Amino acid sequence: MIKVSGVTKKYPARLAVDNVSFEVGRGEIVGFLGPNGAGKTTTMRMLTGYLPMNSGTIEVAGFDIATQAREVRSRVGYLPESCPLYPEMRVDEYLKFRASLKGVKSSARRAKINEVKEQCGLTEVGKRIIGQLSKGYRQRVGLADSLVHDPDLLVLDEPTVGLDPYQIRQVRELITQLAERHTILLSTHILQEVEAICERILIINEGKIVASDTEENLHRQLQACSIIEIEIMADKETATREVSALEGMDVRNASELADGWLWLEIEADSASMRVELFNLAVAEGWPLRELSEQQHSLEDTFVQITRDKGAKS
Amino acid sequence: MSVFVCLLKKELRACFYSPIAYVVMFFFWALMGVNFIWLLSQLAAGESLTLSTQLMFSGPILTFAMPFVVPLITMRLFAEERKLGTLEALLTTSVRVPELVLSKFVGAVVFYCALLLPTIIYVYILKQLCPATINDFPDGGSLWSGAAGMLFVGALYVAVGVFMSSLTSNQIIAAIGGFALIFGSLVGTAFMAYMAQSPGLRIMGQYYSSFAHMMDFSRGVLDSRIIVMYLTHTAWFIFATVKIVESKRA
Repeated sequence: MIKVSGVTKKYPARLAVDNVSFEVGRGEIVGFLGPNGAGKTTTMRMLTGYLPMNSGTIEVAGFDIATQAREVRSRVGYLPESCPLYPEMRVDEYLKFRASLKGVKSSARRAKINEVKEQCGLTEVGKRIIGQLSKGYRQRVGLADSLVHDPDLLVLDEPTVGLDPYQIRQVRELITQLAERHTILLSTHILQEVEAICERILIINEGKIVASDTEENLHRQLQACSIIEIEIMADKETATREVSALEGMDVRNASELADGWLWLEIEADSASMRVELFNLAVAEGWPLRELSEQQHSLEDTFVQITRDKGAKS
Repeated sequence: MSVFVCLLKKELRACFYSPIAYVVMFFFWALMGVNFIWLLSQLAAGESLTLSTQLMFSGPILTFAMPFVVPLITMRLFAEERKLGTLEALLTTSVRVPELVLSKFVGAVVFYCALLLPTIIYVYILKQLCPATINDFPDGGSLWSGAAGMLFVGALYVAVGVFMSSLTSNQIIAAIGGFALIFGSLVGTAFMAYMAQSPGLRIMGQYYSSFAHMMDFSRGVLDSRIIVMYLTHTAWFIFATVKIVESKRA
């Protein structure tokens, strides 16, 4: 659906996107992650034909954005970052305006508008003035607009930014529903969002794609070693010494908890070494109340990937 | 074509929905009223009837009100789209930039023409006041050419205003820039045309002075050189706006 190869975008003062290549297949939901200023919005603007690139090619649905921009645009539904709308218009009026700009035939327009209004939960507010709607509703109007010409690809730039948790959940549910019929590229810096919605993750940092994989695989890449947490009743120094003496294990952190128990964070070659820790505790006669492998969150993965690659470059 | 019509409808709606349009209308119509009273008092004081169309179209009040009024109409056009981010939303649909610029230009010209509508009432009043013995007053020819002049000059001013609006996301800057350019050239060329010592400057001023041109138009003089100048200058500003909108995106 999307084929980006070797795309570079320079702004006068800086290199915003540096030789980026990636592909998105039909029907995929891909999360586009990156810190602020990493080049997410610039990449999306190039994808939708708003910004020209300095070099490289972008193909959307088999059309080249540089030479067949109109073909591409008619197949892409784009929700820009700040969800721009005309505050003086009514919802129906706005959707009608956008539908006719996007070439929806006048005979099909009303039905199509009603369909997207229903999809996005806007049926009740059709007569309301956009400027008087809440942020959540405005976001939905933006989404309805991006859907109104039945695009193959949806490009959503931070669709939940500035919403309250309840609205975020609603918009997310909506996006998940849309995924049944559209390919979606979704940018965000909210990690739970990606975890909740996306099948695949693209991470961009300082204009470069630094990772592109499923969430599980990204975790696996980072889990060269396992972190094990253990809580025992023992003397801090003895325990640290004994644990470190085991082969392939190293105590990263140790602290005495308020209730007298000792908490250790251990770096181990594999998670299966928990058994050895258990055996050690039994042998030493340490009461044990917790023994677990630390789960990496996507946040850890993200921070680690962007930091590592950032440091290398 | 249908995209253009749709954009134009939206422009007109936005224009007539905005409170600033009515503020502008109120003040401009008030000034037109003052201008008409001044015209009547001149005629009452014995001024020649043949001068009435000149007084109506090229009196100093209207001439100097235009550089204030037109930028107030046009300041919104692109600056607001940039500020709201809707320019991005527009240009990622199948809309072509020239269509967009033309729709805004035509929309603003239509509103400008609406501002001039009270002229019809004034012409009617003049006709009623005129003694039955005088035929064809005010003179139809000079009325039409005066109106055409207002349209040519207005279209150029609007094109300048649209151009200024495309340069910035700040409406105030767009308005002040438009005002500076229009008012500056109006006053500058009028000075050149009437006050300059050097004959060369004088001739150049007369070629460029909207003030001088409106005098001619409202006397019934339709000079093709002047008309070509207005049309080409207007087209140039529209073209420049298209180029600005195409290139200035980030």
